[in-house]
Amino acid sequence: MMENREIQEILPHRYPFLLIDRILEIEPGKKGVGLKNLTGDEWFFKDHSFYPPNLLLESLAQVGGVVLGAKAREENPQATVQGLFAGVSDFQFQRYPVMGEQIRLKVEVIQSLASIYKFSAEAFVGEEKIAGGQILLSFARIAP
Amino acid sequence: MIDRVLEMEKGQRVRTVKNVTVNEFFLPGHFPGEPIVPGVMTLEGMVQSALVLVNESYSRGKVASTLEKVARLKFKRPVVPGDQLEFQVQLTSRGDHALKFKGKALVGGETAAEADFILKISIREVGFEL
Repeated sequence: MMENREIQEILPHRYPFLLIDRILEIEPGKKGVGLKNLTGDEWFFKDHSFYPPNLLLESLAQVGGVVLGAKAREENPQATVQGLFAGVSDFQFQRYPVMGEQIRLKVEVIQSLASIYKFSAEAFVGEEKIAGGQILLSFARIAP
Repeated sequence: MIDRVLEMEKGQRVRTVKNVTVNEFFLPGHFPGEPIVPGVMTLEGMVQSALVLVNESYSRGKVASTLEKVARLKFKRPVVPGDQLEFQVQLTSRGDHALKFKGKALVGGETAAEADFILKISIREVGFEL
């Protein structure tokens, strides 16, 4: 488990675009489960009554970023890394989550080629699966 | 500071819930790199829960209530992103123009804060009584 302060040591994201709150389970470099809480005073609820699907993708990508970043930090705590969202494939939304819900974000590396990582990514509210598919992250170590 | 009402007994008590996420306006400054929910926001959640109870119990929109006094407020553990806050607020006594409440904020069944507070009531519509 990883609290938010530790997530901020790995991800460069900050308010208003840090879209995960806690890491519940992690196997660095392999897979992880993150948590995103939805509450009424978040900026996107001004225009929407639900969590916008593009931001749900971002939340999943950020969990992927932590999974890869934690591995890089294990190997070399000084390393500078850059992770970027590289793509989505075959991603299906069953429904959109709403305020008051807690989203569990489950990602697992299923393929990697050079600096591109393909994840299976799923979102759950309680036991209900609300979205799933594949996302791609590019993740590169920058010198030193 | 409230996302859902879980349960309510009109004129008695209410149970509400608030999800805590890092994506809230008060957390970047409290504190940079170390987000902790400000204690006053937890108090705000208890007060807002009491306001919901008052409005639902005594004809919606006809009474206005404001926080008059915080008699006691205790924080027992920090609240951080990922936590789910449950507010349990109980009306303990009723005067002519004041309502007394006992409130609790819990995270996973553990008490994070407790408060005793008073709301001042004013009647917005003539001829309406509590």
